[in-house]
Amino acid sequence: MKDLVHIFELEDLLQEANNELIRKAKDDGKKVLGYTCYFMPEVLLDLPGCVSARLRAPRSTSPDMATYYMSGRTCMYGRCLLERALEGGFNFLDAQMATETCTVTCRFQEHLQLMDIIQNPNFFCEFTDVPFKKNDNSIEHYENQLKVHVLDKLHEHFGIDTSDEALLTAIKEHNEVCRLITEIGSYRKLDEPTITGTEFSIIMLSTLVCPKYLIIDKLRDIAEQLKTREPDVKKTYRCKVVLSGSEEDDPNFIKLIEECGALVVADRHCYGSLPGREEIVVKDGESPLRAIARHYLGTSSCPRFMEQHVMRQRKQELADIVKEYKADGIIISQMKFCEYWSYERTIDTIVMQKEYGIPVCSIEKEYVNNAVGQLRTRFQAFVESIELKALKNNDNSKKEVTA
Amino acid sequence: MKLNDIKAKYRELFVVEKAPEDKNKPKDVKKAVKDFWYGKPHEERRLGDLYVGDTGLYKHREWRGVKDTMYYFNMVWLYNYAHMVTDIMKYGDGTPKSVVDFAKGVMRYRWMGQTYLTVMHWFDRGMEGMRGEAMRASAWHYRGMVSESIRQFQRMFVSDKKIHGGKEPETWKKNIAHNETVGGSFFYPFMDELEEVPLEMIPYFVSVHVNSHTVLNYIDAAQSIGLPSDPCPMCQAEYGLFVLDDYPDFAPAMVTSNEACDGSVATSVLQDWFLNRPLYALPQPMRYDDPLVQKHCQKEIENCWKFIEEQYGIKFDWDQYVKHAEAYNKLTEFEWEKWDVAANTPYYPISGVAQALYRIYYSQVGDRPIWHEMDEHVKRIMNKTVKNKIETFPKTRHRAIAWSCAPLYYSHWCTWAYNCWGINCVINMDSLMFDQYLRTDTYEHALEDLAWMNEKAPMRAMAVGGHEHILSLFDYMERFNCDMVIMYDQLQCKGMQGIHGVFEDEFRKRDIHAIWIPHALPEKRTVSRKEIRQIINDYMTTVMHEEPLDPTLVDFDDDKSW
Amino acid sequence: MKSIWKLLGKFLGFTAVVYGILFAVFYWDLDGKFMYYIWEPMMIKRFDNMKRADNTSIPYLQKDKVAPDEYTQIL
Repeated sequence: MKDLVHIFELEDLLQEANNELIRKAKDDGKKVLGYTCYFMPEVLLDLPGCVSARLRAPRSTSPDMATYYMSGRTCMYGRCLLERALEGGFNFLDAQMATETCTVTCRFQEHLQLMDIIQNPNFFCEFTDVPFKKNDNSIEHYENQLKVHVLDKLHEHFGIDTSDEALLTAIKEHNEVCRLITEIGSYRKLDEPTITGTEFSIIMLSTLVCPKYLIIDKLRDIAEQLKTREPDVKKTYRCKVVLSGSEEDDPNFIKLIEECGALVVADRHCYGSLPGREEIVVKDGESPLRAIARHYLGTSSCPRFMEQHVMRQRKQELADIVKEYKADGIIISQMKFCEYWSYERTIDTIVMQKEYGIPVCSIEKEYVNNAVGQLRTRFQAFVESIELKALKNNDNSKKEVTA
Repeated sequence: MKLNDIKAKYRELFVVEKAPEDKNKPKDVKKAVKDFWYGKPHEERRLGDLYVGDTGLYKHREWRGVKDTMYYFNMVWLYNYAHMVTDIMKYGDGTPKSVVDFAKGVMRYRWMGQTYLTVMHWFDRGMEGMRGEAMRASAWHYRGMVSESIRQFQRMFVSDKKIHGGKEPETWKKNIAHNETVGGSFFYPFMDELEEVPLEMIPYFVSVHVNSHTVLNYIDAAQSIGLPSDPCPMCQAEYGLFVLDDYPDFAPAMVTSNEACDGSVATSVLQDWFLNRPLYALPQPMRYDDPLVQKHCQKEIENCWKFIEEQYGIKFDWDQYVKHAEAYNKLTEFEWEKWDVAANTPYYPISGVAQALYRIYYSQVGDRPIWHEMDEHVKRIMNKTVKNKIETFPKTRHRAIAWSCAPLYYSHWCTWAYNCWGINCVINMDSLMFDQYLRTDTYEHALEDLAWMNEKAPMRAMAVGGHEHILSLFDYMERFNCDMVIMYDQLQCKGMQGIHGVFEDEFRKRDIHAIWIPHALPEKRTVSRKEIRQIINDYMTTVMHEEPLDPTLVDFDDDKSW
Repeated sequence: MKSIWKLLGKFLGFTAVVYGILFAVFYWDLDGKFMYYIWEPMMIKRFDNMKRADNTSIPYLQKDKVAPDEYTQIL
């Protein structure tokens, strides 16, 4: 396929947290607000006057200082973030809008509070409590939390306008990005997708780590180009897969999967678009903040939700994604030491195969991808097993026709 | 078997070898009589010589002097064996059928058949070397825990479908199961009509203390279906029970919780699958100091009550709540009294392990008559030690505070540490939980306090909601007049691992003696008891430059012990 | 009267013997040794060989919604 417009530029922007566009936004007088989790609604951090930056630690190697503080037995994502912070890589942040939604990222953010790491005199880190359920009580609680711990703090520290009008403007801009990403992502549903998983992950990630007002034109260009983009004449992949799991912000990992012959057609993980890029709908009579609270609790598929029907629905949702994106299997990837996803991966691995008949490749990986050789072998074997299964199914259906 | 083999076996099992330095000593009859009557002085006890190899069994139980040995025999060993039988009857359906149900449970569940019959050795390990009031008070705490454990497993057995051919016994419908981390206090309003039984407390949590062998089966089972080995082994064991189908089916509905960590939440998903029955998730807020979270939490509790009403067709009973909350407050008041004595005097008569286990057990379970009965006994003893200024742990060299969560398979490390090094573990982190008086003047106050108390439940109170909670160690250290920290290093607890370096910095900055004890909660294969002792030994010799009180306890093997 | 004393004596004697035996069991840790060398290996054998249901074969999706809307659904 012809190269996507802006793709190399976007890829470059992913090489460091304090990228060119973040610097540009700072020059424009914007406040840069860091966050780590979907439960911190980025739309609130993109209010006029500020921009959101979902934290990553690209090109990390060995997080030695962070390992002293957090030991080698915690999620490497959290450690790499702390290492990057200790190295001064997050000094551009004006605030960290934190959530205690998983243990290790919470500890990382607490360290930002406790240890005076960010060399920015006005920096502050504020925590929001996020509920474990999706009921009305939780939405109300979440809304209050967002008001007091996000909106009020932004207004208090930076004089940000947090009125309903400002929120509606932010929602509108946010929805525009979501619409574009959904449109771009929809080409993955085609029988022969006209966008690769690697390309999509670069685009998706850039919307999380760059100021949206500075990349929206690029997204429009990409969406426009995709309308006429043709797939390769000769298929370059052997099967299609959904990537599901925990934190994943490395396009090279998607590239690795695709090099093994599996095209990644859907991204249902912490930094993915499913969920993540649904438009926020403000219902009649509903305040914008209420709509945001409802939206983020309602759309999240995080394994920390505990209600019985929600736990069980998650499996169905994953199976639905497989069907919708015409995938042949699922790769479930879990960051080593992520407790939520170790369990979710275990149960998904059993249930998706047994109850839905969907082949699953279940892997555990580190944030810094060192075990490329082993993973490559796993993915190649998985692709082969899917092909064998397809062959067997073809044989069986031929026999049936003959009979 | 040859005669020589029999002799060797006899020597191995029963004969205590004399210390090399004692072999050629002339017999001192006067001293022998004195030792017989009063027991040997601490430094001459040689407790390590009593062990049978690495089994943890005794060649003979310790001679503590006539008075204490007879007390231990009559009021601990005989008394508890006898009361176990009566408790089995009492907490069953009151008929001889209870014994049949008990026997069926023993034969059906590994955690019962392999574990609990060895309970007297749990007493022995916890009370090794103790004398006088310390031994007496600690033994009453153990007795309370045994009785409550019997209540729980007997209720499970008499109601269990699995040991009744798949049929629902009458009591099945009157039980509610809950995650062991859901406090019993939530069920106070229904206690006259409903029996609450934590699902994993007996099959997993208490069992590890009594016999650390059993739990390994459950951990292995959890990993056998694909779970990695790094998540908290407590959660692994809790769901391994289900993988091995080793849980009783004793209740029609379940209440679960996010207490204490990510792993607990995730475990609920697997348990829900295997239990496959109505489930109410009762979440606790993470940022619990935030006044804004309270309303949300209270509403969830009320919804849980609604769930119970609807599932069981019973009504919320305010009077029942008041009755049990007020009774529980009495336990809290006594707990504060105990803390006061522990913090400010050397007359506190409860050992580190008895304090820790009893506190976590009764506060988690909530108001039960047995706790009041035990507290009366202990109160009498504590009043005596305070009034008569009896130093209960006279060989104390260091007053230690134990922080973070303890190794379940070696919760009695503090008994060893006192006997060997004079380290007296005065208080521990989990004892400081649930520190809340329950008001009962209005419904609103009651709900507020109940929510607040359970937000400060074991493990979570210090471990979540902000680093200031876990760093409160230093305030407690001062409050309890401690000069040493035993820092539990639960290798698979992400929350504690995530703040490891901050503690290192603080210890250095404050010049505090802190000994890190690595462990993996119930999983003794990760760090053995011997390794834990070795770490303490090394610190005491190389950093503190101290000599052991009992050199036979410095290096011994107990890998195969319960 | 004599027979009552005799009976009482017998009872006390019997009690003393039982008490002595129990003390021997206690002192020589015979209860522990029995549990360790005889009971526990027997139980391990029993539980290792016990047939157990495969709980992972419980259909995951069979559960109907079990709790009323007001505390499970977004209103």
